[in-house]
Amino acid sequence: METIAQDKPAPLARAAKGRKPRYFADPATDTLLSMVLALTQELSVARDRIDTLERLLDRAGVLAAEKVDAYLPTPDEAAARADLRAAMLRRVFRAAEKEAQDLAGGVVATSEPEVMDLIS
Amino acid sequence: MEHRQRLHDALPRPNHDESARQDFVASLRQYSGRVLGAANYKLYKAKVEPAFDKAKGRPPESVDEVRPLMTAEPYYQFWSATQRNSQEMMWDSVIDTVERHQSELNDKAARAGPLGSLKLDPALKVPAYHTAYDIHLQPGGYHTEQAEEDVSAGAIYDLGVPIYALGMMGTDNNSTGDTLVNWYRNAYPEAKPERVLDLGCAIGNSTAPWVKAYPGVEAHGVDVAAPCLRYGHMRANALGLPIHLSQQNAEHLDFPDNHFDVVASALLFHETSRPAVKRIFEECFRVLRPGGVAIHFDGFFTGPQEPILEFLGLWEVYNNNEKFLAALRTLDVVKINQEVGFKDVGFQTSPFVVDLPPLKMTAKAGEKGYMASSFGAVPLLIAVKPAG
Repeated sequence: METIAQDKPAPLARAAKGRKPRYFADPATDTLLSMVLALTQELSVARDRIDTLERLLDRAGVLAAEKVDAYLPTPDEAAARADLRAAMLRRVFRAAEKEAQDLAGGVVATSEPEVMDLIS
Repeated sequence: MEHRQRLHDALPRPNHDESARQDFVASLRQYSGRVLGAANYKLYKAKVEPAFDKAKGRPPESVDEVRPLMTAEPYYQFWSATQRNSQEMMWDSVIDTVERHQSELNDKAARAGPLGSLKLDPALKVPAYHTAYDIHLQPGGYHTEQAEEDVSAGAIYDLGVPIYALGMMGTDNNSTGDTLVNWYRNAYPEAKPERVLDLGCAIGNSTAPWVKAYPGVEAHGVDVAAPCLRYGHMRANALGLPIHLSQQNAEHLDFPDNHFDVVASALLFHETSRPAVKRIFEECFRVLRPGGVAIHFDGFFTGPQEPILEFLGLWEVYNNNEKFLAALRTLDVVKINQEVGFKDVGFQTSPFVVDLPPLKMTAKAGEKGYMASSFGAVPLLIAVKPAG
């Protein structure tokens, strides 16, 4: 009898059957909370992985664990890191930054009726 | 693993990042359950109850009065949504591991033996109380066959339970079984049971402690879910324990009358239905030998408590698809047992046995709030069949 090939099993179910409660007045808040928790989880996974790497490198005699904590960036390295952090903050605060620019009058706003006049 | 489960040979091994995701969920549940969860009771006492008292001249008297007040509180909403997410994330994090190992697990289970036995009944109709919704949000529940000869639901359950219970289910998810065995051994110190039956055994984790405590006992576990039983058979062999697993509905068993010295169940009844409860007790009476004892552990009603604590205890009903628990708590299970023929029936408080030291931040016995008062000592429903 031919056996059923199970090398690539179909993905397992990921959603539970049954009504999902809504917790907040705005359903977007429910979604956002799920996203925040998942992002925290991924951050925790990344931290665990870094911790694993540091311990394995120490154990292999490649890099003593205390060297990571004792590390001081050179001025150039510190500046490069500051740029990376600023870029990340711009991405994370993209929506807030747009609002801040609008409030400061930094962006010339064309009203919706004006836009419709322009294109129709 | 933070939850310190024994890595027996049947258990699929999480890789580094899967393990880290699972550990995160365990930490999240400790934090949400213990630190954040404890504040719900304080919120109620400091704000919700006094406001109601001021308006009505008395505190809320029932869950029905407490529920709309608490679910309107932003703090409770946030906590409850976080707790719900932790349950969904728990299953998702262990499904990653099972999905990656699925074909190898299913192949291995098909060859499992030689200890004990496995008897499946493809004609068995899985009851609607399992198919209508996925109990405790496990995608596919206990019963869904997601492949030929599937064991995935069992493996998902085995990996998920320790995260859910935060170490309180012991090294091999054995705490509920250990708890019943411990009561039995104290009540009947001389007894050497020949045959024991565990109802709603899932992966046989609550059945195993009987075999460990009484070597040579003929231990049977029944469940409606074939994927759990297949996995359970492989698991029992990995643990070196002979267990006889069969796919049966506890409402109508195929065992002869007067057959077992002990009939046990651990967390079975709250996952059934109102009509099922009486039928299961009838079957317990029928299959027990005269003088035999039934021991049940579940969230039965044992007496009134503050409405806020009853409400928090029912969180699982509204948010975790443990839908029958609330109705179960309206049933007088002592009376039902007497109606089906049992004579000595009642609740006995007994230690909840955990073979692991408690985790930091897990619930302390006696602390008030969600999942806090469940451990320490628990009420067991005991029913003895008249000697004849």
